[in-house]
Amino acid sequence: MREIDVSSLSAWFGSKQVLRDINLGIERGSATAIIGPSGCGKSTLIRCLNRMHEEVRGARVEGKVLFDGEDIYDPRVDPVVIRRRIGMVFQKPNPFPTMSIMENAVAGLKLLGRLPKADLEERGERALRAAGLWEEVKDRLGDPGGRLSGGQQQRLCIARALAVEPDVLLMDEPASALDPASTLRIEELVTELKDRYTVVIVTHNMQQAARVADWTLFMLYGEVVEFGPTNKIFTTPEDQRTEDYVTGRFG
Amino acid sequence: MPDTRRGFHDELGALQREILEMGEQAGNAVQHAVHAVVFRNSEEAQGVIDGDDAIDARYLDIDQRTLETLALQTPVAADLRLVSAIIHVNLHLERTGDQAVNIAKLHLLTEDLPGSDAMREQIREMGDLVVGMLRSAMEAFDRRDLELSLRLPKMDDPVDRLNRASHLEALKLADDPSALDWGLHMNLVSRALERVGDQAVDIAEQVGFLITGEFREFTDASHEVELP
Repeated sequence: MREIDVSSLSAWFGSKQVLRDINLGIERGSATAIIGPSGCGKSTLIRCLNRMHEEVRGARVEGKVLFDGEDIYDPRVDPVVIRRRIGMVFQKPNPFPTMSIMENAVAGLKLLGRLPKADLEERGERALRAAGLWEEVKDRLGDPGGRLSGGQQQRLCIARALAVEPDVLLMDEPASALDPASTLRIEELVTELKDRYTVVIVTHNMQQAARVADWTLFMLYGEVVEFGPTNKIFTTPEDQRTEDYVTGRFG
Repeated sequence: MPDTRRGFHDELGALQREILEMGEQAGNAVQHAVHAVVFRNSEEAQGVIDGDDAIDARYLDIDQRTLETLALQTPVAADLRLVSAIIHVNLHLERTGDQAVNIAKLHLLTEDLPGSDAMREQIREMGDLVVGMLRSAMEAFDRRDLELSLRLPKMDDPVDRLNRASHLEALKLADDPSALDWGLHMNLVSRALERVGDQAVDIAEQVGFLITGEFREFTDASHEVELP
């Protein structure tokens, strides 16, 4: 079943159009990778999926993004609610550096309203476990988040995103600032997370897309060139432009 | 736009040229082996046996390079299909070279025995057919010619027919034990040539995979296969 249905989506920064007539269906419980050269609109596309795009001054969106059948751009829809259900992890780990590890994990939860401390900590632990970080930090939950390694900080950010129990997790190049071991750890995590969440991951690393994603979307100049099962995109793509891109004949 | 992986694509091009040359080498080996049998030329037979080291060396070199390409370059899409096809075709050609050696050895084992012109003619005909098949399969590979690759199973039919009739020709020599001994060995030559034909069909299947991305057997020993 399609959880996210994008139709005729276009986006602009001021007068510059960056997405053109995107149509896309994302299934519940799947991992979708978005690949394409720099500036092709990958990040803009996922930022349109949880209404982050409009946070940029002069940015504008047209078209529809249905989430569980409801248009997230309907004027009655509260973008904060959408962003709770469709969480996001960014390229550079951005924990609150002076907050403790546990405070970081539950930072988003706290914004949603008052919860008893025991509940908060229980949900924090659950999120840290889901992000594969619990075993490494359980004895120092009071340490500042900024003291963790880069890979741990990124998993802490994933935990923070998961703590509010979203349905979808958007990841914008989540491993591009990490060392190889931390990268593989994040990739492993993505394959675990997709059993419980729908994951959409923007990546510059094509092998990462091949390793973690069930579906791969190739974009060029703000348009979708090809969207299909990852094994098909990397063995027998249908569009010559996809073929040329994945084989490195242009980049 | 510029090719961002030129070194890798140059290596793929070089590997493809190597495999095409190896196809020529293997085809020539079969041709000389058959020629040695038909014209009772032991020197030529020995040349085929001696020449197999070069085919084996090339086989090992291509095998090593394709493995390195997989490990270091993680090819995808058409590049991946090409590497996979090269790995398979490489093995088929090495086996074809071995069949040529088998044929040459069978001649050397029987060079002093009397034989029959009819059977030699049959072997010559089979040799021409399978060498033609091998060259067609490699040409289809080089040109990415799906239509030509699909013609291989049909080209194999007369080879199979001749192979099935081979033992009957051998039995005609039953009155003379020495000639029969030769005939039974030539029956093995016929079998080796039939295998070369099968290798050519297998190479054509790889060409089909390379072009379409879908692997299918053109022939199946236990079932009828319908081709487009």
